[in-house]
Amino acid sequence: MAGGTRITETTQYLTFMLHKEVFAVDISKIREVLEFTSVTKVPRTPQFMCGVINLRGSVVPVVDMRLKFNLEASEKTVNTCIIIVEITHDDGEVTVMGALADSVQEVMELEPSQIEDPPKIGTRLRSDFLMGVGKHNDRFIMLLDIDRIFSPEELSTIQAAA
Amino acid sequence: MAKIMTVDDSASVRQMVSLTMKGAGYDVVEAVDGKDALAKLKGDKVDMVVTDLNMPNMDGIELIRQLRALADYKFVPIIMLTTESQATRKQEGKDAGATGWIVKPFKPAQLLGVIKKVLG
Amino acid sequence: MSVEIDTSAFTEEAYELLSELEDSLLELEESPGDQELIGRVFRAMHTIKGSGAMFGFDAVAEFTHEVETVFDMARNGTISVTKELINLTLAARDQIRAILDAAGGGSPANEENAQRIIAGLRGLVPGAGGGAAGGAAAAKGKGKKPVVEAGPHSYRIRVKPHADIFANGTNPILLLNELREMGESRIIALTDDLPDIGALDPEQCYLSWEVFLTTEKDENAIQDVFIFVDDECDVNVRLLDREENLSTDAEPKKLGQILVERGDIDQEDLEEALQPLGDRLVDAGVVGKDQIRAALTEQQLVQEKREKKKKAEAATSVRVPSDKLDNLVDLVGELVTVQARLNQTSASVGDHDLQLISEEVERLTAELRDNTMSIRMLAIGTTFNKFKRLVRDLSLELGKKIEMTTEGAETELDKTVIDQLNDPLVHIIRNSIDHGVENPKDRLAAGKPEEGLIHLAAVHSGASVLISVADDGKGLDPQFLKRKAIEKGILPPDVELTDKEAYQLIFGAGFSTAEKITNVSGRGVGMDVVRKSIDALRGQIDVQSELGKGTTITLKLPLTLAIIEGLLVEIAHDFFVLPLAAVEECVELSRDRVANAHGRHVINVRDEIVPYIRIRDRFGIEGESPEIEQIVISEVDDKRVGFVVDRVIGQHQTVIKNLGKNFEHSEEFSGATILGDGTVALILDLQKMVRFVQHEEAEENSGGE
Repeated sequence: MAGGTRITETTQYLTFMLHKEVFAVDISKIREVLEFTSVTKVPRTPQFMCGVINLRGSVVPVVDMRLKFNLEASEKTVNTCIIIVEITHDDGEVTVMGALADSVQEVMELEPSQIEDPPKIGTRLRSDFLMGVGKHNDRFIMLLDIDRIFSPEELSTIQAAA
Repeated sequence: MAKIMTVDDSASVRQMVSLTMKGAGYDVVEAVDGKDALAKLKGDKVDMVVTDLNMPNMDGIELIRQLRALADYKFVPIIMLTTESQATRKQEGKDAGATGWIVKPFKPAQLLGVIKKVLG
Repeated sequence: MSVEIDTSAFTEEAYELLSELEDSLLELEESPGDQELIGRVFRAMHTIKGSGAMFGFDAVAEFTHEVETVFDMARNGTISVTKELINLTLAARDQIRAILDAAGGGSPANEENAQRIIAGLRGLVPGAGGGAAGGAAAAKGKGKKPVVEAGPHSYRIRVKPHADIFANGTNPILLLNELREMGESRIIALTDDLPDIGALDPEQCYLSWEVFLTTEKDENAIQDVFIFVDDECDVNVRLLDREENLSTDAEPKKLGQILVERGDIDQEDLEEALQPLGDRLVDAGVVGKDQIRAALTEQQLVQEKREKKKKAEAATSVRVPSDKLDNLVDLVGELVTVQARLNQTSASVGDHDLQLISEEVERLTAELRDNTMSIRMLAIGTTFNKFKRLVRDLSLELGKKIEMTTEGAETELDKTVIDQLNDPLVHIIRNSIDHGVENPKDRLAAGKPEEGLIHLAAVHSGASVLISVADDGKGLDPQFLKRKAIEKGILPPDVELTDKEAYQLIFGAGFSTAEKITNVSGRGVGMDVVRKSIDALRGQIDVQSELGKGTTITLKLPLTLAIIEGLLVEIAHDFFVLPLAAVEECVELSRDRVANAHGRHVINVRDEIVPYIRIRDRFGIEGESPEIEQIVISEVDDKRVGFVVDRVIGQHQTVIKNLGKNFEHSEEFSGATILGDGTVALILDLQKMVRFVQHEEAEENSGGE
């Protein structure tokens, strides 16, 4: 079954842009949004693993969302930002991670009726990465299952072919 | 492991010194007198020299003096084997540049103690 | 109230002595003739008896007296040390413990048991009944010469080699090392005579030292260190802790007083220059900075000694909840990071005063860090020793003969890790004794020595500690393990398993390979506890086994709160930290040197061929390498290996931050650290890197042709 749990409550989402598409993450998952700072690349890890940053004394990994979704890479701009999210693992452990996005848009509220199950095809995204697709002012918003996308299995850093 | 030369005209002393040092893991080069020692040392650098004083051809004091004149052996530890009655010889040896001494007869443990002392 | 504190001091000491006693007895069992060990056992008994009586533990004193009496005869050679004596004394040791436990609120000690032990001990005395023997021993004891109290003393040793000391092949460092080995020491180098670099003759010795040594040895032993350099070195030894110096009522000596007494200055100099004393003295050129430093150290030492004495008079230790310590360690970690930033900022601002402050903070931070870490670090030896008894009792119970050896008892580990290691290690050792080591008959039949061996070892490896339990028993049979797992329905019948995976099965819940259940193990609980505890410590378990030869279980544990000394290096614009402990030297690698090696990655360092790894290539870092690169030569797995970087920046106090789950597979890094400017640098795990490279090269070579 793709799509995971159905959304049954009105929830606030933070929307952000990746390659001219709008994505959103449940706002309760988000800790803060940072301007792009220098990221230390960890060698011999997959391309989408940007590296690590210093978040007030903690070392936090950052994932390039474009590359993770197989979109083309882009130059950093003044709008480029790192969204700091809290990921809950299967074993209940919480880790903090960063998601590199083109820009942050707005916080919006979506009712369950505005959300549809993720379509199995047509989104160019793996359907299990989505919690659903929201509709807002005639635009589609990809609601991401961030726990799933940032799970260790997905981010497994087994050395990428050099 | 450090390499040590033992110089003595007495085969039994040489053997005892040599066995003791080999037992402790050192590489050992043997020489029968000062002349032999100098010849062997020119081709083969050692980390320490243990020499008797009374030897034919070239005695220990002369050997120490000549070694100290060589750039390679200027600061290498040199231990001389003396007997109780040789107090003046001991001073001569020190003046020639010996690092320390062991009074004969000695036990293997004493020898190793002295080696550790000057070689680390 | 005061009584309570006092008794706890006694019981604490007594428990310690009892565990020492146990170790000594077990050692004595192996070498029954060892007078020193007999002496040690006797002394432990004697101290327990003496202080027991003083603290009102009459039951302990009375009972211990009986045991001591018999052991005194062993000491005097009247009776010999037999297996029986050892067994009885061990039982007695347990009995004393029971009495102590009872006094501390535990269940009352078994009085009959005590009588039995005493009767047994008296039975060992030839001819006479117990009472008479006791009397004889007591009389003998009184006739003995009073022994001078041996306790450690503190000395100040001034070592001033003559300038030409090197000419006789003497290395003064070795002399200092010898002193250092004699006890607890602090060494201060006096560098005031050091000329400017232009005027410096490298074949002359300009340094002298002041050594503050606290040792059990006497002054003669100290003088003996300098026996060969009588004419080439001035040595002055002075006892520091004479009673008047240490009497707790007297004020500790003032700095000036000490300088005067030491002959560094005279009374006039002192009075002229009283404030601020140190600076003024230095400015006036009366004494050098180092002399002041040495005098200060002396002052400190005497003060510390007094503190110690005071402490011994009052309580012996303070118990603190460990989360308070955790907090402290976190804060120190933060402080170290901030300090690095202060350092960098003050260097770039170039303000001299600021730099002085920064240096001072750096010194304090380092001291604070070391102190904090040392509070939490314990040697694993105490834990190892506990297992000696376990092995002894268990092998006896199972009718096996097993010797346990240990290695690396001095390896220090965080206290929490040690505490949590106890249970898993007990299970592993039990398992080895029960399942691993065969009974004597089978061993002989298999052509092995009758006595089995269990080897416990601890060693630091990068940012980890490896603790291994090795036995020379029958080893694990992967086929058997697999069959068993399938039988129990843990694995599907058609499963494919490597040997390594099969070994890991023993850590599964409800998995027992024992054919028959013994008292010890075989119920399938135990080894899964090991897995859980080690997981909780974020450690790893590695099992190696050879059928018929034995099994080695290695626990790899991270140093949880590691702050390490690192070497900061740069490649392109990326920074990395290498653990400084492994670094031996840095040499330059020029392009011609690379060309001369004909494509092989080796370099000749003083006639030794050292292979090197180009980190730039390994990590695929882009850009051109500089004309001259640096090779950091480190010792990895007992071999010298070079690591090529663009630039070596310098020493860096490194707070290790975990890279987290997502980089679990990036094993070449043991973590990350935050630099002074806020960027993150990765910490290299050199050992892992070398192993990966070796592995990859081996594969290339085998598959390439």
